[in-house]
Amino acid sequence: MLELVGVSHHYMARKSSFDHGLHHVLDNVSLRVMPGDTLGIVGRNGAGKTTMLRLMAGIIEPRQGLIRRRAGASCALLSLGLGFQDSLSGRDNALLSAMLQGVSKRDALASLDEIREFTELGDSFEEPVKTYSSGMRARLGFASGLLTRVDILLIDEVLSVGDAQFRDKALGAMQQRLGGEQTVVFVSHAEGQLKALCDRAVWIEQGQLRAEGAPEEVIARYRQPGGGSARRP
Amino acid sequence: MTLSHYATLIDTMARLSLKADASRYFFGYVWWVLEPLLYVLVFYVVFELILQNRKEDFVVFLMCGQLAFVWFSKSLNQASRSILGSKGLVGRVDIPKSLFPLATIQEGLYKQAAVFLLLFVVLFAKGYTPSLVWGWLLPVMLVNYLLIVACSLFAAYLVCWVFDFHVFISMATIFLMFTSGVFWDPRDLDPAMTYWVLTLNPLAFLLDAYRQIMLAGVAPNAVHLAIVGGVALLAALAGLFLLRRHSRFIALRVITS
Repeated sequence: MLELVGVSHHYMARKSSFDHGLHHVLDNVSLRVMPGDTLGIVGRNGAGKTTMLRLMAGIIEPRQGLIRRRAGASCALLSLGLGFQDSLSGRDNALLSAMLQGVSKRDALASLDEIREFTELGDSFEEPVKTYSSGMRARLGFASGLLTRVDILLIDEVLSVGDAQFRDKALGAMQQRLGGEQTVVFVSHAEGQLKALCDRAVWIEQGQLRAEGAPEEVIARYRQPGGGSARRP
Repeated sequence: MTLSHYATLIDTMARLSLKADASRYFFGYVWWVLEPLLYVLVFYVVFELILQNRKEDFVVFLMCGQLAFVWFSKSLNQASRSILGSKGLVGRVDIPKSLFPLATIQEGLYKQAAVFLLLFVVLFAKGYTPSLVWGWLLPVMLVNYLLIVACSLFAAYLVCWVFDFHVFISMATIFLMFTSGVFWDPRDLDPAMTYWVLTLNPLAFLLDAYRQIMLAGVAPNAVHLAIVGGVALLAALAGLFLLRRHSRFIALRVITS
């Protein structure tokens, strides 16, 4: 479904005028995601997880290496809060979000009530997003992403916020989707979720693949002294 | 993405943005007419009351040029920053980057419809009546639109590439305001100079065409209009191609800016 072959990525970001500032993000990463797979990614903040999802979604191109996606496979990246227009209502944002994902306007309009119901935002769904708390934004982002049918779902930390009740509901909805053909790549710091949802996990550290295998094993290696989670930057 | 979905998206983005914009202001949609009216008031105070300009119907002359020029300059300035301003979306979905400048221009187009309507009302009140020649307004507006699209697509690309370009674009619009005959009539110049101003500056040609049609009742030079329109169309297509070809490079620049 999705394959990364020797992918390396770096970019320039200026620290001051007349400076280029090279940042290395990924270094020779190869991995493969099969149809119906649920792959978890763990790693410290800044390890390159979000960049990896963006590369998988085809939003940016790797400097080196290849990314193969099955021809015609649609892809959606769910991330926190980003991409909302603050002065638009939750409904308008959900409409725009679905349409940008490639859903026709008619289908997008038809799915809005389902999204509203899933978010449980009630009347707030019609209020501008600028009035939302981060938990409410996460609800809107998750619902509008999940209810759009795509072949590959890339989830970046969306399930780590929101109250416990919504997290359980979102997890349940995810598991329902996972039972089917849905291919998912899942970035999270919530180890319980990773263990519950994923068939396989990888650990990324300083842009390199450190471990790959069953979620329990990978998380255990990530957690052990000298592993990523114990290290302080 | 199919062409019809692309077009629907541009329209939806523009409409939602107008809605969001209106909700930010207390007077909301009233500003569509209020803003150009205030412009006219400023001109009236400066040119008729203070400077006591002797040119006949100077306020009407000014409106024909200024309102079309503001359409160009506002659209260009807003569209040039539109991709960079949509960092959240650009980092989340792989979409054609031309959507952002085109949606911004579409938004300007809807507002401009209200502005032209106001202009027609003022012209009518001043005793100018529409004739068959006014039919030329449609092709002139179309060429004006194409010119906005062509300039905006390239500007949006350049601003994503090197952010410093936005300073240059603001400077360029000020330069154009002074050289396009907004406050003065290119036809009052030395004939050789009139020729050069109208030939070298397509915007000066368009502003003059609006005035010729609405104030003098004279059709613009069709060949000149077709050439400006053709070049603008080709440049717009080249801009679309550029944004499409460098879509991921632009995304990277926007995400890391």
